[in-house]
Amino acid sequence: MQIVKKLLHARGLTSLLFLIALFVIVGIINPSFLSPSNIAACFNTSVVYTLVAVGMAFTLFTGNLDVSIGSNLGLVAAVVGSMLRDGQPLMLAVLVGLLIGAVIGLVNAWGVAVMGAPALIFTLGVNGILRGIMYVYTNGAWVENLPKEFKDFSSVTAVGDLTVYYCVTILAVVGIHFLLTRTRRGRYFQAVGDNDQGATLVGLPTLQTKVLAYVICGVMAAIAGIIFASRIGFVTPQSGDGYEMKAIAACVLGGVSLLGGVGTVLGSAIGAVIMASISYLLVFMGFSSNYDNAITGVILIVIVVADALIQHRSMVKNRRARLMARVSQDDAADAGAEKGGDAK
Amino acid sequence: MPMANEPSKIAQEAQPQVSKKKDVLLSVRDIHKSFGTNHVLKGISLDLRPGEVLALIGGNGAGKSTLMKIVMGIYGPDSGEVYIDNEKVDVSNPKVALEHSIYMVPQEPMLFPNMTVRENVTIGFNARQADLDRELMEVMDQIGWHLDPDRKASTLSIAEQGMVEILRGMMRHSEVLILDEPTSALTFDEVNALFRVIEGLREKNIGIIYITHRLAEVFQIATSVSILRDGIVTMQGSTKDFTREDLVKGLLPPNAGSVKEAAAAQKREIDYTAKPVLELQNFSGYGFADVNLKVYPGEIVGLAGVIGAGRTEMATTIFGRDKVLGGKVLLDGKDITGLSTTAVIGEGVNYVPEDRFRDGLFRIRDVEENTTSALLAHGLGKFILGRKEAERVSQHYVDNFRTKVTGLTQEVGGLSGGNQQKIVIGRAFATNPRLVILDEPTRGIDAAARGDVYAVLQQLRETGVSILLISSDMEEVVELADRALTMFQGRINGEFVGDQITQDNLMSASFGVTGEARSA
Amino acid sequence: MIEKIKGFYATHGQASWNTILIALLVLEFVVFGMANDRFLRPALLFTSINDNLPTFMLSLFVTLIMVTGGIDIQVSSLVGLTSITIGVAWQDFGLPIWGAVGLAFVLVTLCGALSGFLIAYCRVQAMVVTLGGSFLFSGMALLVSTLSKTESYLGISGFPEDFRFVGTYDVGGVIPIQIFIYALMLVVAFILLHKTKYGRKIFLTGVNQSAAEYSGINTRRVIMSTYILSAIAAAIAGTVTTAYLGTSRSDLGGDLTMDIITAVVLGGTLSTGGKGSIVGTALASFLIAFLRFGLPLCFKISTQYLDIPVGILLVAVIVGRSAAGVGGFGPWLRSLLPGKGSDKARSVSK
Repeated sequence: MQIVKKLLHARGLTSLLFLIALFVIVGIINPSFLSPSNIAACFNTSVVYTLVAVGMAFTLFTGNLDVSIGSNLGLVAAVVGSMLRDGQPLMLAVLVGLLIGAVIGLVNAWGVAVMGAPALIFTLGVNGILRGIMYVYTNGAWVENLPKEFKDFSSVTAVGDLTVYYCVTILAVVGIHFLLTRTRRGRYFQAVGDNDQGATLVGLPTLQTKVLAYVICGVMAAIAGIIFASRIGFVTPQSGDGYEMKAIAACVLGGVSLLGGVGTVLGSAIGAVIMASISYLLVFMGFSSNYDNAITGVILIVIVVADALIQHRSMVKNRRARLMARVSQDDAADAGAEKGGDAK
Repeated sequence: MPMANEPSKIAQEAQPQVSKKKDVLLSVRDIHKSFGTNHVLKGISLDLRPGEVLALIGGNGAGKSTLMKIVMGIYGPDSGEVYIDNEKVDVSNPKVALEHSIYMVPQEPMLFPNMTVRENVTIGFNARQADLDRELMEVMDQIGWHLDPDRKASTLSIAEQGMVEILRGMMRHSEVLILDEPTSALTFDEVNALFRVIEGLREKNIGIIYITHRLAEVFQIATSVSILRDGIVTMQGSTKDFTREDLVKGLLPPNAGSVKEAAAAQKREIDYTAKPVLELQNFSGYGFADVNLKVYPGEIVGLAGVIGAGRTEMATTIFGRDKVLGGKVLLDGKDITGLSTTAVIGEGVNYVPEDRFRDGLFRIRDVEENTTSALLAHGLGKFILGRKEAERVSQHYVDNFRTKVTGLTQEVGGLSGGNQQKIVIGRAFATNPRLVILDEPTRGIDAAARGDVYAVLQQLRETGVSILLISSDMEEVVELADRALTMFQGRINGEFVGDQITQDNLMSASFGVTGEARSA
Repeated sequence: MIEKIKGFYATHGQASWNTILIALLVLEFVVFGMANDRFLRPALLFTSINDNLPTFMLSLFVTLIMVTGGIDIQVSSLVGLTSITIGVAWQDFGLPIWGAVGLAFVLVTLCGALSGFLIAYCRVQAMVVTLGGSFLFSGMALLVSTLSKTESYLGISGFPEDFRFVGTYDVGGVIPIQIFIYALMLVVAFILLHKTKYGRKIFLTGVNQSAAEYSGINTRRVIMSTYILSAIAAAIAGTVTTAYLGTSRSDLGGDLTMDIITAVVLGGTLSTGGKGSIVGTALASFLIAFLRFGLPLCFKISTQYLDIPVGILLVAVIVGRSAAGVGGFGPWLRSLLPGKGSDKARSVSK
């Protein structure tokens, strides 16, 4: 019982171990994988996933979700890309990009948190609308010929073979992690997802927290879009398609519960690395990258099913232990003999 | 127990004395509240002073919880005012209430299951975590409770969860603490510990509203008492001015006596030599153990006890909802132990759940669909739904139970509590059972509807169906039961027949006391 | 205003919602017909239905799932899996064409059963399982396609005539045969949901699973079966579309999730479960198909922009419904009502 609880508690850690094990196994099968540049590449390619997954984690913490981030990412990438192509200053382009992300977040927050629409369905609709707007904006054409410096910056390294983008991102994620776990307000996100009514009852600003989660998610997707444009160097009308699903999968892999209240942003960042590395690792293991989706699906399903079964078991066990504790052990009506003890 | 030395202050529309003293902590004035057609509060006024423990009692559905939710800002009142420290306050949300030092420990603890005890208690404060931690330890020392602050809330027992809620209230330096049936899940030791805490708080001049449905507790802990019935205050004053009988009078509807006599007149002879319809032999499961009982044809057996005694668990285990740990269930001599719910219904047992919202009603479906849902397993055609038959059955129960509906296609979510309950009872009887287990059949419904339900049950027993009546309402058991059993801590600890079936006997046995009622 | 909508919905319910949908359909015909009378040519209209056939077919059975309170975002990946399995089994494994179709049906039905089992019996959220399923089954389709000697981007073609019949034959020279297949599925779905005991169980399970269990309904079997039915619908849609296009591709069906969910929700099904209508879903899918067909034809709007009106439709309906208290906030508020509280432990089913 205790072991299970501890495991559940440290799901973020489990996913880190899983990642390391993955690297080791691939290294055993194909020793040429274990070079710093290959491992760094796994992290570097995960930067866009990491950003969207961390943003997604905020909405998941509060018990919602946002499947509009794929189109959000694509739209921001297209807008920022085209502004840079047309010679607009970088700062302005980035600012516009972030603003778009924030506005999308506000729209989602309005629908879900204020109007009470189901998160999946509402944001699915917003996703479609944004994808359409992206076609209107780009006229269905690719955004190409981005400034060379903008593209080249994506390969500038900071520490070893790790890019500046990844280093800054991971530092930011660690910073966010500490804000969330060590500050008063940081805990609100998970409190709201853990027990919405309870949060209202102790006076937490539940509505603002949910709105903020969506805005953060939208802005993170926008940042991801900018970095996407920089890394890939061009934007197609389909860019970002499916990233919402990858982000959810990364969060689940990293131990974030879709029921709200559980998980860490660090976990979701690790989940993003796993998601991003799978196709890369497959190549080193001698498989074609065609296995990518199937393996992602299997891992995702296995993890959530295991989680659900463990949680259900412990819930049933706790309940039964609690009920058994109520039954007096002998027929004597000695009221003091029994305590409504805690599950053991 | 104090005896009545002076006339009790019974008034149908009690007017609380105008608050002359400055030290009224909380005052509500003429509060009205309706949910749809259901008029829950019809002009409630209350005062609470420092150091006062005001017991707020009343049956389920009397409006206690609703009133407190209005004070906490969870609901807005339709009309009426709330004064805090003699100042009119618009309590639009719980935050306002908290800012005015009011805290409610809800009936069901509202913890964050994935957070630690420490986080649960200190979340929402603006102070430094280290200061909060120190204060938490101080508060725990003060009241003599010790919980590991790093335990996750999901690992706490119900009682411990309640303690965390009380700690929350104390950390907020609340001047008004509302406790909503805090003892319903506690053992005696825990209840006594809680009462010591309340005494301590009282000495610190904190005002406490103590909601309960247990009269004994009123005399143990409260300094004053207000009785709510059907949305009005029927009686209020200092505890020492009342006897237990006075309180019962305040709780009962004015015509209660006549109903009782009518019911008593209908009691019939039961043939105890016949083969029992239901027989439990050393039946054990999660929450109850070694239960032996028999229900004879046409008999109503009352099963009394406090909430949490294990009666619901026993019933749901018979009904195939949980694992049997030992013993046998015989229906007309046939072993039906451990069958699935579907099979148990097919064998001729049905169950009216205790929580009709969670386990009984399909709110957004209509009367017919609700009435016939249990028939789907064994009746109403093979594959294609026999709609004619379904309508006939539903109409039969609507007519027989005099359920107030606009038609069979009305959604049941819009019906009153009493009519909803009639529909759930109708469903259980629609499967033509040999035995029906009714779990708290009148919980949360008003007095008039209660009378209707009793009439329905009397009528049904005439058809020869046996009834096992689980109820925490001792009056109900006295009125309806041919024979009564009590359950205490998961075991049957008393059996009463004929004149022995009195509220006192049942109540005492329910609390594990034989003979004289236990006092503080 | 909100009270009025709520009252209207409560008293008139699905029937009047269907009337609104029919009115909107008529409006489409009037507006599009006036803008361009080619819109009214039956042959073109049938083409527009043909092009959206997977959405039509799948939304019928996703309705059943959503009435139980679930959701299915994997179903469009099963269309591609069906298509590629038929192609590879026929061309590369040498199975007779109908044997290949049978194999695809068995495989896809098992996929649906797997997801249904995990959702119903392991109590995993439908959304996550079918999200994993959409990865897994589209990945499987890709892997199946690598078993073929044909490059996957080309697609497998050259199917025999008797197979292409189910996608290309026009009854009486006018009405495509797949319209009849759809009509048959519509009737089956309608009877299942609205006329049988099984359908009644689906509704009750969706409103309140616990109460359904207490009524002796095996809710887990009901829930699992809806995912199997939706997978079978995907197999039919995949087969018919493959025959219609004449090529077998792993990415057939693409991502229809938004269109399917829009059709179901716009058709009057509550996203929280417990209410829904096959007729409503069918009307809504016609509405969407004609919108996708009419806007480019009559107003020269690029087909790539069409996610905008469909998305707006979805968002507007879902917000409108939440605002009217039919879903969303309603249950939360009701859960606070007096009399609900229970300090007893939850009953756990075996």
